Amino acid sequence: MGKFISIIKTVLAVALALFILSWIVYFFNLDMKLSAALYNPLQKIYDMRKRDKRL
Amino acid sequence: MGKKMNSEPLGKLYNGGVTKRRREWRGIKDTWYDYTRWVGNWATMAKFMLNVQNLKGFFRYRWMSNFLSVPDFVDRHTEGLRGPQLRIAHKEFDFIVAHATDTIANLFRGDANIGGDPKWSKKVVIFDENMMTHVINGFPNLTAVTREIPPIYMGSVMRQDGILHYLDAAEEYGVPSDVCPMPAGELGLAIEDDYPQVGCCIIHCNTTCDGSLMGNGIEDRRFDVPTFELAVPIRYLDEETKDYAAQEIKNCIKFIEDTTGEKFDWDAYFKAMHTFNEETRLFLEWLDVSKTDYPQVVGNNVALYRDAYYQVAGGRDIGFLKNEQEITRIMHEAYEAKTPIVSEVRHRAILWGVQAQYYSAFPAWLQNCWGIQPLIDMLSLTSTEIYSEDDKEQAYYDMADLYAKENMRNRSEGGYQVGVEDLWRFCEEFRADVVIMYEHIACKAMTGYHGLFEEEGRKHGVHVIWVPHDLMDPRTVSREEMRQSVNQYMRTILHEEPLDPSLESIDDGEAW
Repeated sequence: MGKFISIIKTVLAVALALFILSWIVYFFNLDMKLSAALYNPLQKIYDMRKRDKRL
Repeated sequence: MGKKMNSEPLGKLYNGGVTKRRREWRGIKDTWYDYTRWVGNWATMAKFMLNVQNLKGFFRYRWMSNFLSVPDFVDRHTEGLRGPQLRIAHKEFDFIVAHATDTIANLFRGDANIGGDPKWSKKVVIFDENMMTHVINGFPNLTAVTREIPPIYMGSVMRQDGILHYLDAAEEYGVPSDVCPMPAGELGLAIEDDYPQVGCCIIHCNTTCDGSLMGNGIEDRRFDVPTFELAVPIRYLDEETKDYAAQEIKNCIKFIEDTTGEKFDWDAYFKAMHTFNEETRLFLEWLDVSKTDYPQVVGNNVALYRDAYYQVAGGRDIGFLKNEQEITRIMHEAYEAKTPIVSEVRHRAILWGVQAQYYSAFPAWLQNCWGIQPLIDMLSLTSTEIYSEDDKEQAYYDMADLYAKENMRNRSEGGYQVGVEDLWRFCEEFRADVVIMYEHIACKAMTGYHGLFEEEGRKHGVHVIWVPHDLMDPRTVSREEMRQSVNQYMRTILHEEPLDPSLESIDDGEAW
């Protein structure tokens, strides 16, 4: 029983931590700030790809 | 910051960068709702990226990086919204996000460039970017995909600079820079070898214009599959064009049958049209409420979504109808409660002309900054006919009517009656005192009407505010210049002060 309660507590603690973390990411727009930072490195990957440029 | 509309200076969220400082605080209930929808959209995108084929496509195609800004795209179109309007907006925009991931997944599933399934590709029929897809309603074993929508149409809507790379490619190739950015971007995409190679045949249409049709013909050099050019009458109101238009539909169906070996299934067609008609009935309810003092499904909550279900889905996806039934329920509750959309409605507006793709959230700015309530836009005022659900011969004429009344051509083609006269009728019906007149400077379709609009606007006592733009190229006319067109009119002609002064001038030249 004690082990079960401990598991429940751990699951709740993890869920709460995830919620708080995701709320911070949401409110301070951190997801979009990270996406913006990824944009330029991604363009370099696309630039490196071989393409048959013609019409 | 608060749950009331206009309780926070929204302009302060912009800092001159790509992203906003933070998300909007809308009070506990609405912010919580927005947060849950944000989680939902990330879940949709995460599910999409878990598919290996989609992951390969993400790193193969440059335009896929535009979709990194999806949450920002939703934020832009829900800016300032509270209560029922926030919920309606999320119902629509989140559905668009999910539908777009399906479209892209269908493209990648059969894409030869990334090792796609050739059997699947043989069951895909490619349609033009701005084109009704209703002929495919009779081919339940085939999948219609509008190949240019994710890279070009959505690329520009997601990021204002989303297709500039492709415009530059077209110009470097020799295409003049004053060409409409839509066909120019599509051409750039072909030159850059960035089209997914999928589909057993292609259906082109002279929507929105003959220039677009000609561009698509040239791009076909990239695809080694049969093509059909569906030529829809320009003066489609003319009775003499009806038989010809219906015959073109018959020719198109025969082309698909001959190419794929499938037979047109009338039961499947009428089933889809039943759904489509139900959607039209709901849309008419939305319009009726928009004519009252308490409009609900208006502005950004009409435009892009109407494009999606009217043109792209065409009645085949029952999910759209269920979504609209839920939106209609929210709308009726909000109307009964006399819920306003902005803190103060100073003007009721009709949006006419073709909107700027790179500033599709412009209607949100109009209502938040100046209290100008956009009620309906030209591209959404398409056919509201109820079409036959059992008459096969009539169905050809119905399809022809729908192809003529596609969003982008319904009023830019068709002549004076639908392009000019109808505007004043709508102003009367919706009791609008302002027309926001989008002027797509690279489009020649409605240029000849300019003087007529000004003359008729004066006659009808309606303020016509011209807002120039360049559809998908913000370098020609920036978002700030679009806003200044309105600011100048509001200050110098109407002598008004903004509802939210922080929005009058925003530093969003670098923003998504």
